[in-house]
Amino acid sequence: MFGIKQHLILFIILLLAACTGPGERQRSAFQVSEADKQAEDKILPGVQTSKPVLALLQQANDAARDGKLHTAESQLERALRIEPRNAVLWHYMAKLRLHQDRLGEAAGMAAKSNALAGRNKKLQADNWRIIAHARHQKGDKKGALEAQQKVEALLKE
Amino acid sequence: MAGRNTRKRKTEVRRTKFSNSDKRESGPAVEKPWWKRRRYILGILAGLFLIYTIYLDFVIRNSFEGKRWALPAQVYARPLELYPGQKLSARQFAQELELLGYRYAYQPAEPGSFSRQEAHFYLVTRPFQFWDGREASRHLEIAFENNLIESLKDGKTGKSIALARMEPPRIGGIYPAHHEDRILIKLDQAPELLTRALISVEDRNFNTHFGLDMRAIVRALVANVKGGSLQGGSTLTQQLVKNFFLSNERTLWRKANEALMALLLEWHYSKAEILEAYLNEVYLGQDKGRSIHGFGLASHFYFDKPVERLELAEVAALVAMIRGPGYYHPVRHTERLLQRRNLVLDLMAQQGVITLVQAQSAKQTALGVIEGRKGTSSYPAFMELVRRQLKQDYREKDLTSEGLRIFTSLDPRIQSEVEASVSELVTRMDRQRNLHETLQTAVLITSTNNGEVLAMVGDRNARYPGFNRVLDAKRPIGSLVKPAVYLTALQQHERYNLMTKLKDESISLKGGDGKIWSPKNYDGSTHGDVPLYEALVHSYNLATVRLGMELGFEPIAANIEKLGVDERIPPYPSMLLGAVELSPMQVAQMYQAYASGGFKTPLRAIREVLTVEGKPLQRYSIQVEQVVDSVSIQLLNSALQEVMRSGTGRSVSRHFSDKRVLAGKTGTTDELRDSWFAGFGSDYLGIVWLGTDENKPTGLTGSSGALVIWGDIMQRLDVQSLLPYAGDQVENLPIDIKSGLVGNEDCKEVVFLAFLKGTAPKRYAECAGGGERH
Repeated sequence: MFGIKQHLILFIILLLAACTGPGERQRSAFQVSEADKQAEDKILPGVQTSKPVLALLQQANDAARDGKLHTAESQLERALRIEPRNAVLWHYMAKLRLHQDRLGEAAGMAAKSNALAGRNKKLQADNWRIIAHARHQKGDKKGALEAQQKVEALLKE
Repeated sequence: MAGRNTRKRKTEVRRTKFSNSDKRESGPAVEKPWWKRRRYILGILAGLFLIYTIYLDFVIRNSFEGKRWALPAQVYARPLELYPGQKLSARQFAQELELLGYRYAYQPAEPGSFSRQEAHFYLVTRPFQFWDGREASRHLEIAFENNLIESLKDGKTGKSIALARMEPPRIGGIYPAHHEDRILIKLDQAPELLTRALISVEDRNFNTHFGLDMRAIVRALVANVKGGSLQGGSTLTQQLVKNFFLSNERTLWRKANEALMALLLEWHYSKAEILEAYLNEVYLGQDKGRSIHGFGLASHFYFDKPVERLELAEVAALVAMIRGPGYYHPVRHTERLLQRRNLVLDLMAQQGVITLVQAQSAKQTALGVIEGRKGTSSYPAFMELVRRQLKQDYREKDLTSEGLRIFTSLDPRIQSEVEASVSELVTRMDRQRNLHETLQTAVLITSTNNGEVLAMVGDRNARYPGFNRVLDAKRPIGSLVKPAVYLTALQQHERYNLMTKLKDESISLKGGDGKIWSPKNYDGSTHGDVPLYEALVHSYNLATVRLGMELGFEPIAANIEKLGVDERIPPYPSMLLGAVELSPMQVAQMYQAYASGGFKTPLRAIREVLTVEGKPLQRYSIQVEQVVDSVSIQLLNSALQEVMRSGTGRSVSRHFSDKRVLAGKTGTTDELRDSWFAGFGSDYLGIVWLGTDENKPTGLTGSSGALVIWGDIMQRLDVQSLLPYAGDQVENLPIDIKSGLVGNEDCKEVVFLAFLKGTAPKRYAECAGGGERH
C-alpha cells in the first residue's frame, strides 16, 4: 500500500491547511491550545478502514489539494455510503464543513462523529473542538466554553 | 361587389376591343397587351410567393431549432459501486447490467458488453462523467461468492482494484407539462436496423432527394390506382414537416405548404439532422391523454427497453405502426399489425437490409408488446419527489429544456424488491378481505445513515403515475406517534427510565372539541401498573395518555416538530394516540431521527446536478443536526427493539433465520382504517401504510397489514441488525420481568433493556442471587 498512507496524512494536513486559510482568522478569536493541535494531527483512519474507503480518501485528498472542496465532499460522501459508521469519516466531513464556513453543519457532523467514536478520546476531543469553534462563531460563548471544557477533560483522560 | 363591378367593366372593355377591331391600327392602344399584364400579375404573385416562402423559412427555422434543442433534464439512479466484500450477488449484478443495457458478447471488447461464466463476469464499462470526475471505460473481471463480491480485477492487467463505479441507470426525464411525451434519442443511439428499415419502408430515396420524391409520388399514385400499397408518396422530410407544423386535413393548400416546407427544411439541415428529428417526432400511439412521440419513448412504452436494444422484429413492428398507430394498434389489432410487420420485414429483405433468413426467423416471433407499462419512467412516485425537490431551486423551463443531468439516490434493486413485495402482498390482502381492489399502499425505504430515499411506491400499482400517497396522502398515524411521547419522558433521565411504573387505567378528558374523551386500550382491558417499556411495547393507550398528561402536550408537540415533522401538532389529548395526520414521507422524517441515533437528517432524493456538458452545477449535500441526545435515543430504541421481540412487531422474526435486532412500531387507526408500520435496522428505514382512498375500514391492523409487507421487504433486503450509539454511557442489562430487578440467565423471563449508567435497578432479582448491584 505504498503511497496511500502518505496521501492520507497529506490529506489531513491539507484539510488543516485549508482550515488555516480563511478559517484561521475566525479561529484566532477563539484560542485553541498547541496541545489541542497536536491531538488534531493524529486523527487517521482506523486500521479497519476498508480499501475502497482508503481509495476514496486518497481521491478526496487530491481534490482538496487542488482546492476542489466540492469534489472532496462528494468523495467523502461516497466513502460514508460504504462505511456509514466510520467516525473518522464524519470527522473529516465536519472539517470540510468548517472550511466551507458552514459552521452549524460542521457541528452536526462532529456530533455525529462523536456518537460513533466509541472510546476514541482523541477523536472526541477534536470533534468537541469543532463544536466549540462553531458555537463561538455563532456567539454562543457559554456553549463554546462548555465544549472547550469537554475537550480538555477528554485530553486529560 | 367591387370585384364584380370590375369584372363587368373588363368584359365591356374586351367586348369593345373586339367590336372596334378596325380601329386597332389607327390609334395608340388604350390597354396593355394581355401578355404584358399577365407578366405584371405573375410578378406580384412571385413577390407574394417569395414573401410567403421567407415567412415559412422563418417559421421552420425557429420551430425546428426550438424543437431540436429543448432537452429535458435526464434523471439517473445511483451508480453501483463495486468493491471486494460488497454485499451484492451475481444475480443482482446481472440485473444491473440488464438495466444498463449491456450486451452479451463472447469476448467483450466494446464498452457496454459483458460475458459471464456462472459467478464470474468480464465486462467493459462505459465511460461516464460524474460530479467528482470522469470514470473512464475499463475492463473489469468480477467474481461473486456467497452474495458478496469476492474479487475485483482489472481485466487487462489482472491487478486487483479497490473500487470501481458503473455508470448510473437512466430512470427518466423531466418533460414539459403538455400532452406530448418523448425520450429524446441521438441518431447514433438508434440501431442501424431501425434507420434502414425506416428508409426502406417510408422513403427509399431519402438520401438522394431534396425533400420531395417525384418517383415515389408517381409510384404511390399508380399503386393507389391498382389498390393496396406499402409505401406512401410522402418523404420522411414531408412527414416530419406534417408532424411539426401542419394539421391532418387533406387539402391541396396543405399539401403545397408541406412540399414547400420540406424543401426549405432540406435546404437548411443535413439528412442526419432531419432523420434524428424524425426519430424523435414521429407519432407512434396514444396512452390515454398522452401521445407517444418518437422511437425512444415508443420502445420503452411497447417493449420496455431502450431503443438501442430493440430486436429486428420489434424494429419492424414499430416501423409498421407509423402508418397508423390506431389502425395498427398492437393490442386491439394484433393480427393487422403482425401482417404489416411481416410486410415490412419482407420489404427490408427485398432491399437487402436484412437477409431472407433473418426476415423469416423474425416473422416467426410474436409481437412481444408488453402491456401495463405506463409513463416514461418506471418509477413515477420517486420521479415526482425528484421533480418537487428540483422545483425548489430551478425554473420549470430550465428543467425541461436545458438538458440538466440529475443524479439521484434511487436504488433500482431495492425498488424492484419493494415493488415485487407490494404487488404480491397487497393483492393477497385485498382478496382476503374482499376489498375489491380498493386497498391502497404507500412504501418508502430510506438509508438510515444519510437520509437518502432509496425506493418509493405510491400506489398498489407501482408503475401508475397518479396520486402519490407517500407524499400526499395525509392520514392519522395512530400509535406511530407514541415513541415521540415516550422519548419526551426518557429525555428526563432523573425522572424516567424504561422501568418507571406507569398507570394503565381508565381516564376521561376534555377533548379539543370540548367533548369528554374516554380512550380505551385496543383489547378493551386495563393493565394496572406497568413498566414504561411495556406500555410502549404493547402500545397501551391508557398508560400513554396518562404519561402524556404528566409531560404536557407542548413539550411532546415541540419534540415532534424538532424531529423534523413540518406540521403543526394540535395540542389536544387525542394527539397522544395519533390523531395527527401525516404523510408517510413525514413519518419517515420523524423515524429517521430515531434510526440515525438522534440526528435529524433531511430526506433527500437528489445528490447532484450537472449541466448538459457534464459540469458541476449544484450539490445537495448530506446534513445532520443532533436534535436528541444519543443516550435518550438509545433508551427509546431499546424499547422499540422489544416491540419487535415480544410486542406488536414480533411476527417479523419468522422472516429471519437468525436473531435480527430491529426496531419499529405498529400503528392502527379507528375501525382499522389505516394500517401503519415504521421500523429500521442499522442500514434501512422502512415506512409502510395500507388503507383505502375513501378512508374505509380495511380489516387490517398495523401488525396484520403493514408489518407483513415491511417484514417481507426487509427480508428481501437482508436488513442488518441495529448497532448501538452513545458509546459507554449506556448499559444493556437483563431485567427479570417478574421482579423488575436485574436478572441473569437463571431467571425464567428476562428482557434486555438499556439504561443510562447509574439509573438501572440497584438490586439483583432473587433468581439472579439477590443483593445490591455495584
